[in-house]
Amino acid sequence: MNQTSRMFGAAAMLLLLALALSSCGAAPVSQDWPDLAVDNGLVYVVSGAPQAVYLLDAETGVQKSSFSPQIQSAGARYWSPVTAGGDLAFVGFGVQETKPPTYGLYAFDPLTGQERWHVEATGFVLGAPVFADGVVYFGDSKGMVYAIDAEKRSVKPGWPFEAGGAVWGSPLVENGKVYVASLNHHLYCLDAQTGAKLWDYEAKGALAARPTLDPSTGILYIGDFVGKMNAVDAASGQAVEGFAFQAKNWIWSEALLSGDRLYVTSLDGNLYALDPATGAVLPSYPFDGGDVLRAAPVQSGDTVFVASKEGKVTAVDGKTGVQLWQWPSGLSTTQILTTPVVVEGTLYVLQATGQMVALEADTGVQNWSFTLTAQ
Amino acid sequence: MSELFNEVIIRPMLNGLLWLSHIFGDQYWLAIIIFTIVIRLIMTPLMLPQQRSAKKMQALQPRLKELQAKYGKDREKIAQAQMALYKEAGVSPLGGCLPTLVQFPIWIGLYQSIIHSLGNQPINLLALSQDIYTRGAQLLWSDVPLNRFFLGMDLSLTPQQMGGLTYALPVLVAFTMWLQSKMMTPPGTGDAQAQGMTQSMTTMMPLMFGFFSLSFATGLSFYFLVSNVIGIITQGFISGWSGLRFWEGLSLSRLFSGGARAGASRPADTKEVEATTAKTQRGMSSGSSTTRKKKRRRKR
Repeated sequence: MNQTSRMFGAAAMLLLLALALSSCGAAPVSQDWPDLAVDNGLVYVVSGAPQAVYLLDAETGVQKSSFSPQIQSAGARYWSPVTAGGDLAFVGFGVQETKPPTYGLYAFDPLTGQERWHVEATGFVLGAPVFADGVVYFGDSKGMVYAIDAEKRSVKPGWPFEAGGAVWGSPLVENGKVYVASLNHHLYCLDAQTGAKLWDYEAKGALAARPTLDPSTGILYIGDFVGKMNAVDAASGQAVEGFAFQAKNWIWSEALLSGDRLYVTSLDGNLYALDPATGAVLPSYPFDGGDVLRAAPVQSGDTVFVASKEGKVTAVDGKTGVQLWQWPSGLSTTQILTTPVVVEGTLYVLQATGQMVALEADTGVQNWSFTLTAQ
Repeated sequence: MSELFNEVIIRPMLNGLLWLSHIFGDQYWLAIIIFTIVIRLIMTPLMLPQQRSAKKMQALQPRLKELQAKYGKDREKIAQAQMALYKEAGVSPLGGCLPTLVQFPIWIGLYQSIIHSLGNQPINLLALSQDIYTRGAQLLWSDVPLNRFFLGMDLSLTPQQMGGLTYALPVLVAFTMWLQSKMMTPPGTGDAQAQGMTQSMTTMMPLMFGFFSLSFATGLSFYFLVSNVIGIITQGFISGWSGLRFWEGLSLSRLFSGGARAGASRPADTKEVEATTAKTQRGMSSGSSTTRKKKRRRKR
């Protein structure tokens, strides 16, 4: 009996230890990837750990300032990518561990990093806000879509719109309409002025990306979590007949429309070039990206860039689907989940660990790098 | 090693949970209940010896006390006599522990798969996308993110994050685990050290699980709760329902004192084991029953 008890005790302790080890960490870590934006000579690097927005000189990588809301909490911080508008920059920010939880959109001065104002949201703001005609549009993880008058610093009349499912993607604002996707499978078209719903389209899977609009045809493209690329008439919200494309895993990121090609990355690891009219995969595609492609494709000239979860950035000739260069040349030590940004011949890449790298878009040669450190 | 554990244990469980959730109309809480029942059924061959052993141990307690009284403080003789008694009654002192050890990977795997599937932040969903089997995956993909709500409770959040009535869940987890342990724990043997350890485990384990449940996703606590209730029902069928009268003989001082017996009541359905015990008693006092029969014949 004595021996039995000891065995039972040891077994119980082992179980508790295993459970404790697998559930406890030193500090809460954001379950989101870092974000990147480039605007007006500034690179905005957003990271949950260290917990701040870093503003770097786009040419040299030298830090100019940083921004973080004055919140006293050791909890995990969730950010959206930064959007610049007027003389301000906007970022979504949230900490669940404060009482009450802190969720909101923050406006700050990009030159000094000083907060100007903020408005509260009901959940995490993970998609990049959009600034158009003095109004900031964004959605949150509780499914609310907001339009904030930047001058009055308040929610516009008629807003927020309740989507009913988490909004992780950035809205698309075009021609007085706001197109916003939700994880509840719906793509909504809202009146930018009144917030009234004009139509909604239901996809087979969750929608986490920003839709892409072809202005020449008025067709919206958005991929979903069942791997399907949806083509929707922006005027009516009806599915475009004759268009069909199915990837082998989820499509998480925004599609890239370039001339007569629609570039799509999928978690199946492929870069696809599609015919925007039919969804047919064009010759010499798909291009094998090597690992999960969470980040969206970006383009400079005829070159398309993809970044993979295994930490590789690949430049592909958009016309031929042939690889031009790859960075780094050896093994990568960290993941890349953030969509790179290409501006004036420089490709900005943000690794999951917070290492920021600027590459020459033509050659893949590294210009500078910046490592986020705790302030 | 972790890759192997992921492929052999976690992924099959995770996909099983997702399929059940899909079949039951995207009701994840229902999937947890069904999955728990299925897991318990699969583990029945492992758990039954443990529960039967508990029942036999309960029935042996009077004899163990007699041995304690007979040999006093001679621990060596007590141990020898106990082992002889166990052997005669067909009880293995280790029989209840080895199955518990074997179940560990299953518990940990289940814990991990619930955590994985309930993830509702970008990194969690990205990981989930790689864990779903590709065969028939589109049906499961369409359910992502899962419906995590049950009675207004987000199964992916902790009671500390939600507050309010969700604090009842850790209390229920602790209580049902304590009740189950109490039904499985044999009454005191008189060995103060062993009894103290058993008693502290019966009390401390549920308390610790209750405490951990405060910071676990409520989906996992929900699994613990369902699993405990099933355990209580199974144990009830094996060793009787008298253990459910937990309030009998219960006092706070007994509950937390190491050597005391906390409301342990003798199960009603112990005839079979008692017969064995009686046989053993006779055998130990005057040889085997066969020898005794021979003696009777000679007298005649």
